[in-house]
Amino acid sequence: MKKFSTLILTACLALTAMAGCSSDNGSGGNEANAPAENGSGGGGGKAQLTALIVKNGLTKPLKEMEWLQKVEESAGVEIKWQEISSDWGQKKGALLASGDIPDLIVGQGAVGDADYAQFTGLFQDMTELIPQYAPNVEKMFEEMPVTKTISTQPDGQIYGLPKYQRFWPGSGTRQYINKQWLDELGLDAPTTWDELYAVLEAFKSKDANGNGDPNDEIPMDFAPVGTGGFGFFQPTVLLGSTGITLSDASFQGYFVEDGTVKNFVTDERYKQMVAFLHKCYAAGLINPEVFTQDYAKFQSNSRGDGTTAKVGFTFGWGASDRFGNELPAQYASLPPLKVSASSDVELSWSYDYNHMNYAGNMIAMSAKTKDKAAAMRFINELYNPVVGMQVLFGSLGPNIKDNGDGSYSVLPPQDPKMDPGTWKWTSTWGDTGPMYLADSLELDLPVDMAEVLAEEEPLREVLDKVDEKTDYYPGPFIKYSKDDLSALSLNNKNLMSVAMAKFAQWVTKGGIEAEWDAYLASCEKTGLPQNLEIMQKYYDDYQSKNN
Amino acid sequence: MGLAGKSNELVFKIGLFVICSLIFLVIAYPLYFIVIASVSDSTLVSTGKVLLFPKGVSLFGYKEIFKDERIWQGYGNTILYTALGTFVNLLFTIPAAYALARQEFKARRVIMLAFVLTMFFNGGLIPTFLLMRDLHLTDSMWVFILPFSVNVYNLIIARTFFENSLPKELYEAAAIDGCSHLRYFASVALPLSRAMLSVIGLYYLVAHWNDFFTALIYIRSNHLQPLQVVLRDILLSNQVFANGIGLGGDLGGYAQRYADQIKYGVIIVSTLPILVVYPFIQKYFEKGVMIGSIKG
Amino acid sequence: MGSFKRDYQLWIMVFPAILVVFVFNYVPMYGIQLAFRDYDFSKGITGGEWRGLHYFEQFINSFSFADLMQNTVAISLATIVLSFPVPIVLALILNQLMGKRIKRTLQTTVYLPHFISTVVLVGMLNVLLSPSTGVIGQLMKWAGMGDINLLASTNAFVPVYVLSDIWQHCGWNSIIYLAALSTIDPQLYDAAKIDGASRWQTIRHIEFPALVPTIIILFILSMGHVLGTGFEKVFLMQNTLNLPVSEVISTYVYKIGIVSNQFSYSAAIGLFNTVINFIFLYAMNLISRRTSSISLW
Repeated sequence: MKKFSTLILTACLALTAMAGCSSDNGSGGNEANAPAENGSGGGGGKAQLTALIVKNGLTKPLKEMEWLQKVEESAGVEIKWQEISSDWGQKKGALLASGDIPDLIVGQGAVGDADYAQFTGLFQDMTELIPQYAPNVEKMFEEMPVTKTISTQPDGQIYGLPKYQRFWPGSGTRQYINKQWLDELGLDAPTTWDELYAVLEAFKSKDANGNGDPNDEIPMDFAPVGTGGFGFFQPTVLLGSTGITLSDASFQGYFVEDGTVKNFVTDERYKQMVAFLHKCYAAGLINPEVFTQDYAKFQSNSRGDGTTAKVGFTFGWGASDRFGNELPAQYASLPPLKVSASSDVELSWSYDYNHMNYAGNMIAMSAKTKDKAAAMRFINELYNPVVGMQVLFGSLGPNIKDNGDGSYSVLPPQDPKMDPGTWKWTSTWGDTGPMYLADSLELDLPVDMAEVLAEEEPLREVLDKVDEKTDYYPGPFIKYSKDDLSALSLNNKNLMSVAMAKFAQWVTKGGIEAEWDAYLASCEKTGLPQNLEIMQKYYDDYQSKNN
Repeated sequence: MGLAGKSNELVFKIGLFVICSLIFLVIAYPLYFIVIASVSDSTLVSTGKVLLFPKGVSLFGYKEIFKDERIWQGYGNTILYTALGTFVNLLFTIPAAYALARQEFKARRVIMLAFVLTMFFNGGLIPTFLLMRDLHLTDSMWVFILPFSVNVYNLIIARTFFENSLPKELYEAAAIDGCSHLRYFASVALPLSRAMLSVIGLYYLVAHWNDFFTALIYIRSNHLQPLQVVLRDILLSNQVFANGIGLGGDLGGYAQRYADQIKYGVIIVSTLPILVVYPFIQKYFEKGVMIGSIKG
Repeated sequence: MGSFKRDYQLWIMVFPAILVVFVFNYVPMYGIQLAFRDYDFSKGITGGEWRGLHYFEQFINSFSFADLMQNTVAISLATIVLSFPVPIVLALILNQLMGKRIKRTLQTTVYLPHFISTVVLVGMLNVLLSPSTGVIGQLMKWAGMGDINLLASTNAFVPVYVLSDIWQHCGWNSIIYLAALSTIDPQLYDAAKIDGASRWQTIRHIEFPALVPTIIILFILSMGHVLGTGFEKVFLMQNTLNLPVSEVISTYVYKIGIVSNQFSYSAAIGLFNTVINFIFLYAMNLISRRTSSISLW
């Protein structure tokens, strides 16, 4: 008996002792990490900083990035990086609430306006530091004033700095049709919804891909529609046929028309589009699994059997991304369709240029940073356009060639099996890094980007006609107050749970005519009117300040 | 046994055989599917071409998983956390369960209620995080071992077992001989409870093995990361393009093609070691273990 | 004091457990007040403005409250009712097997699915249930049920959720019952044999009664999950077509929390959930104590 009780007691004591030890080790370790000890006083002359980056999972370890080593070198800093590529959302709350954050936090939306508002005093206001230490940031603010707008909070503080990546296309979504199938069946490329319907019917009933099986063609397919809103590669771009210009793909339906903020999910024209999609779905022209497949399945449908295409009409970023290596030649990018031959509506599309090229809050600094000058020096280096292009495409040398005449070219992947997109994400921070690619920078783009821009040509005409002042909601440039942001997101959550479920139901089962009025009433109840009012207020405010 | 009894027995056996075969098929096929999917071309898997035999066989997924040097350290860490953690769990849980099973222990109802309440009410992530930080448990291996080392659910199961499966006369007899609780617990109750100990041990062991949340929230250093976090990182890294445009950039087809292989491979890599442990535990569920141990 | 002297050894045994539960569970419980306060980072959890029941009212009056409650209860009740008996039956079946190797093989097989992560499970459901390419989809077509897309239907969501849950966890959950069966005194079996009891009678009169205390305890515990549908699986199984039945409290909290740091609101919803769960558990425990004298406390 004694033996056992002593055993338990000793075990308990031992454990407490061990916990004690570990706590000593723990705090010792922490202090070593903190910049306090080595920060200003370090004999080596290099300032020590800590930083956290939320990076893409493919991206190689930061210590292997040549450009970053050089940047740290020239800024005279040595950074201890914590690299996170998954579950940041779950980690973030506890990390911020503990008040114990690294000196720098890097990554698109890693921390955002809601966090600055919530965790007051945690982040450094850089308003006064920028003129002192960051001439490159100053220069960006001068050359592109909108980058300053993105960075400035309603009360004037600057907590997070933006990116401007300049070369990305005007829209995230392009529509593709299999022109080899059209030729095979002796059809013309559709220009209206009615013609599209006829073409899809032909794709369905005939053996368009010529493999002997008339039933394996999927006439139309689109990307999985999430429960929280719409997205890229989805048929919402067809709303352009009815004259609606989507703003940055209008994930939650908001768009602007002649200076008024509206939401298409309660618009008659949306009803018209959904009815058209239902007509296609009922006739078996849309992939019957379109609402249940995941992205991987959608992707593999479009890639067919390698050499035999399976999909007739679909949406995507670029042809080789959507259709793989063999099939892109079969497909052509189409200009926006008219609703019908007699329609005289001015066509439009999804205007996403700002969303594609600007974003705020790419890098933020802790208010507790010991050596703020050093941190600013590092930030300043990142906003040098020559560094910026390396942030985006990779290091000079392996990824980018210096042509010697002040211009640069992005090189093809060193690994021939890899496509340029994957290569870029493997090599460097990519789109998730802070950067400023000044308009004066001369850079030849990699083939995948060049291809996407070429495929955007059919959309060019309508995209160029979009008037940013009257027909675009400048979401990327607007900073909401904490209360407005919270109201907007709660209301949108409610609105989307009604609208997305109904969208899927109406497309697959129909019934939009009968249910439309009841639907409008329940959308009202979700807080949509309040959201339109809030957004109109910010829109008007933005326009009056910037025009 | 009469003829009717025999034919009944036969019907019973045939029925049992049919049912067991059905259960086996229904459960085994999807498991088999995971194995073949982990070596087949993902496109063929997602288009339903891989049903009975692997197709487009490649070991890319496994290569990709084992290419990550962190994985071996992850294995090592997980084995350490699991072994030590399970030991501490049992050390804290089983004696408490025994004490709370004793009818004459007056405080037991209050203590049990206090324990059960914690299954429902908790302070939330932020206060817990602050506590761990103040105890210097963040970014330390002890965060896997000390906090929450008593799982109330397991405690209740162990207590129920002590209450119902130990013959009451045993303790009474022992008490008359002047045997104390601690001695009775160590020399009678524990040896008689091997089946329960192995179940609770298995529950704790698997919980430690599968736990990634603790590491996710409390661990920053790479060298302390357990296997599940490493695997989850590999898994999610390879699905970055699964959500389409995601970060506003272009997409990679190269990574996508094998993402699913990795997905299925990860399951096998993380489950195999547990599969090895199970038979050792299983033998304690055989009929009559308890009586055997009394005699022995 | 007399009882303490008598029971001091029991106190020693329970003390470490009380200590860890107190430190790690009770100390942080001050955080519960977040549900009644605004979260103010600079003043800490206990420093924000007192809002009383504001966030609870916000939830109860919220647009989706009725749907959320209905969906949550439907999914968790179906899970409790349908998946609770399966491990018991499975344990009894496994216990009938005589051949050791068959028994061990089958036992190992049925418990394996427990280790499949939710992400992969849902991925497999998508592949296997797809009407065009999945095994189950094909089987249903072959059985003359036509092109049914189980993933698309609001009626099929709960069955698919529950059945896959049973598939994944029944073997694992049967382990505890197998352990209880292993404690049956072999003399009882011998006596039954002498009495000429059939296998069926042995199951009814010897094996099942041995499981009853465990069954009751686990059932009481399961009643504490009336509003406790897990998050990850529902979330991953959601699509726009099943959304009307698949939006539950946990997914709602996730969606509102992730966009704009709704700490207090999420805390209030969580607490609301917890209180209702606890009431159910308390009631079930009371009934059980009155009727069978088995209880959690």
